[in-house]
Amino acid sequence: MLFGCIHVPDFPVQAALRLDPAARYRENAYAVMDGPESLLKIFACNETARRAGITPGMTKAQAEAAPQVKLCKRVLQQEESAHSALLDCGYGFSPRVESTAPGTVTMDLTGTARLLGTEQKIGEQLAGRAESCGFQVNVALAANPDAAMHAARGFRGITVIPPGDEARRLALLPIEVLEPPEEVLDTLDSWGIRDFQALAALPVVPLTQRLGQQGLQLQRQARGGMWRELVPAEPAIVFREDMELEEPVELLEPLAFILNRLLEQVTARLLARSLATDHVQIDLVLEGHTDRQIRTGPKPSAPALEYQRTLKLPVPTQENKVLLKLLQLDLAEHPPQAPVKKLMVEAFPAHVQFGQGGLFQPVAPEPAKLEITMARLRAVVGDKDEQGCGRVGFPKLVDTHSPDTFQVLPFDAGKKLLKPRTPASSAPRFALRRFRPPLEARVGLSRAVPVAVAFNNKKTTVTNASGPWRNSGSWWDKAEEWQREEWDVELRVDDSTGVYRIFQELPSGRWFVEGTYD
Amino acid sequence: MAQSTGNGHFCALVDASDCFDPASAEAAGVDLARVLWVRCGVRRQLKPLEQAFKAADILLHNGGFGIIAVDLGHIDERHIRRVPLTTWFRFARVVEKKPIALVFLTNCPVGCAGLTLAMKPAVPRWKRTGHVDAQPCGLSLGEMEFEIEIEQSRLGKPVQSARPKFTAASLWA
Repeated sequence: MLFGCIHVPDFPVQAALRLDPAARYRENAYAVMDGPESLLKIFACNETARRAGITPGMTKAQAEAAPQVKLCKRVLQQEESAHSALLDCGYGFSPRVESTAPGTVTMDLTGTARLLGTEQKIGEQLAGRAESCGFQVNVALAANPDAAMHAARGFRGITVIPPGDEARRLALLPIEVLEPPEEVLDTLDSWGIRDFQALAALPVVPLTQRLGQQGLQLQRQARGGMWRELVPAEPAIVFREDMELEEPVELLEPLAFILNRLLEQVTARLLARSLATDHVQIDLVLEGHTDRQIRTGPKPSAPALEYQRTLKLPVPTQENKVLLKLLQLDLAEHPPQAPVKKLMVEAFPAHVQFGQGGLFQPVAPEPAKLEITMARLRAVVGDKDEQGCGRVGFPKLVDTHSPDTFQVLPFDAGKKLLKPRTPASSAPRFALRRFRPPLEARVGLSRAVPVAVAFNNKKTTVTNASGPWRNSGSWWDKAEEWQREEWDVELRVDDSTGVYRIFQELPSGRWFVEGTYD
Repeated sequence: MAQSTGNGHFCALVDASDCFDPASAEAAGVDLARVLWVRCGVRRQLKPLEQAFKAADILLHNGGFGIIAVDLGHIDERHIRRVPLTTWFRFARVVEKKPIALVFLTNCPVGCAGLTLAMKPAVPRWKRTGHVDAQPCGLSLGEMEFEIEIEQSRLGKPVQSARPKFTAASLWA
């Protein structure tokens, strides 16, 4: 049996610093404060801060007296996200992962030697994976979960305990690593029991008589021989990272920098679980201001304090660069109306898609790159037209006889395009070049046949005409109903001719030029 | 575009005047699922011509398209003539080493083109359909005759596939 434990020392501090790339956890002094605003107290601090004299329970004023200690407020959501990230690290190595404590996960690594290598190699991989998620961790591997957990809590770096050697390896660890209740710790301290070795050496019966089953359990743990079943955690399907900013951010460039950090963490977690995402949602909490000036007019509506953007991709991706680029383009097109003070990024997981390209298949645009290109194009030409139809995409005709009705769809990479359609005949056909919207015209008739058309400041004469061709539909829906009479006319303007389609809208009687045949 | 999409290639159409008719294209055999359509609009920051050039630039850098067609057919000739020669030269250089056909549809010839085809105004052929009560004219637009002239070619070998005159049928034929 082999069990591994990843422990994050000073977890509240590391959780607060995880998303800050400039933070130097081991070099600088950091402390996390908690409590009401009027009575903030130190909740946790790192080793460097402890050497500088900071202890948990100090007030903010006392902590600020210590030089070069960086203080930050505790955010529970950040700790939850950090612990989820740690669990995801574990799931990358084993399906049985226990959420032992905040900042500590234990996993069953039995039988993984062939896949992952020696215990030392596994430990290095675990530490590397945790580092990619922003943690400086201790890793321990042992033959039972508790021995692994105590070794990870007590020893720095990577520790491998061979089976049967638990007692010897854990001997010098302080009793505090067992995390006994306060009164038991005081009792043991009064007996002069300060480490695992001393506790393990105590006689069993007197210990049980004085401390009960609890004492016996502690002794078994100190001897390293205690066996228990792992309680696997349910793998979460939520990949969310959030960050509360000390100062609200107004510009998109620094916002993109912070987004990049969050996306890196989210994609690292997805990667650890061999998942990708095709749906990313960002929620921004904006800073609202109340205008205190006296107003005589009506009160303007307050800006929304929450702002959400959603990104959907044709193909799931694991690349944070692609997601960042698309989000940047989207936010540049639809910027938030106020400075941002909090960000939340959530990626909805999807399975990675694999495709086998053919040697003789024609080159096609790469889906992720095409998505970025289309976002760039939308930034240039706009997102939608006045009718709400997209300006960039793949056209698709709607199943209706209503003229000029189509949809503009995003690229569907999942759609089978393997067999290109061949045209029914190879003979060329002329097409209609439309005017959008159709140009209003004045038409002169002779015996119900157009003889002159004036549009776009031009007066033209009809030399040939074909029609009327009646077209109508959706009579059951007053909003969608259309009725028209269409004509194909050859118009002479000065010394040139062209063939146009004109139509008369019924029952209004107005004439329009729909397009030209070319 | 019908031939290119029929061979499995993707095409891009930058429509400066938003005049593309998907129904006509589909009837002509274009596989719309392989056509990326960019509809330029009226925006305060950029004029349609500028949007079209920017869009063409972005598409060229993306790659993966067999044809990138930029339809400037409804843009006034005066605006096209004001486009600096360096712009056309830059497009020519970018496309040089790529397996992409970059096609500009304009009302006047432009510089630096590898091949310039002049399309003369089409001559419609009207068919008699017989007198029908609902159609007093008795005419139907059957075909249109097109004439192409090669104005300029920088290609090494003569272009054999372009027919000087051809007839195109109507969509409903």
